[in-house]
Amino acid sequence: MPEALDPVIHAPARLRLVATLAALPAGDELSFPKLRKLLEMTAGNLSTHLRKLEDAGYVAVTKTHEGRTPATYVALTPRGRRAFDDYTEALDALLKGAGS
Amino acid sequence: MTDDARTGRPDEPGEVTLDAAASLRLIREQQERARAATEPDGRALYAAWGAAWLVGYLCLWSSSRRTADGAAGASGQPEPWAFAVFGGAILAAVAFTIVHTVTRTAGTRGASARTGALYGWAWFLGFLAIAFIQGGLARAGASPEVMGLASNATACLVVGLLYLAGGMVFGETRLYVLGVWILLVAAVASFVGIPLTYLVMALAGGGGFLLLAALEQVLRSRRRRAGRAAAPSVVAGEGPSRA
Repeated sequence: MPEALDPVIHAPARLRLVATLAALPAGDELSFPKLRKLLEMTAGNLSTHLRKLEDAGYVAVTKTHEGRTPATYVALTPRGRRAFDDYTEALDALLKGAGS
Repeated sequence: MTDDARTGRPDEPGEVTLDAAASLRLIREQQERARAATEPDGRALYAAWGAAWLVGYLCLWSSSRRTADGAAGASGQPEPWAFAVFGGAILAAVAFTIVHTVTRTAGTRGASARTGALYGWAWFLGFLAIAFIQGGLARAGASPEVMGLASNATACLVVGLLYLAGGMVFGETRLYVLGVWILLVAAVASFVGIPLTYLVMALAGGGGFLLLAALEQVLRSRRRRAGRAAAPSVVAGEGPSRA
């Protein structure tokens, strides 16, 4: 059964990360500091997970400037959102299978 | 089996897997947390506006009733102190709304932020127009009673219609219903005339906000209870994703 579940999202830290971004309406981005606060992760830890998600094409990281301070924004890509939806559907299916 | 779903080091990829129920619970809790940190809390906003309308309009009502009884000038209009309380209550609610919304939505950008900014500007423009309309009415020689009715009616029209717009744009059905309610209240309040106008505004208008705040609270705790009740029973039955 686990092979049906997306291994990129399956790790709890990345599952929480993707779930957080999926809670935003499509087309919205979250700043790196706010994301870090919501996940209670260290910056390095979050960066590592973001890179893995970025490599999979699930997450888009935008580096920009607000005034003079650099700012980083993170959003789920359409592909990432689809992957998250598929993942939760697969979980639901597993639960239903277990309940019967 | 009540074994902990989260064993080992959660940050190691591929090392740890949660069972399906625990995963779904994790997702739900995290998303609830994310929404609470990025979206304004309807309960707080509705309660603030409900309190402002209730207190402010009750002051206008009791003051205009006093003057109508001939106690102070026999004008039937609210006295300056009542307008001061009303203005203070409304300004406090405006300030709370802005601070609350800006704090909650800080650190987000994109389509919603743009929509929110445009929505905010619509409020500002609506009330700016009202100020000019009032000025025009005054210059045309409108009586204090006409001014009082017109300012209240136009303000309610802006509020009601913008709640309808907000309900449509943000997909918030309850906000849309609130807009419908405010429009109805404005119509009745204008029709009954001062001082009753202010009593209708306080009880039906302010009361409507407070009722909605209470409803939001009930719906939220019910949702939370339902979520908690669903997951653990399955966790106890063993996680299927580990099989």
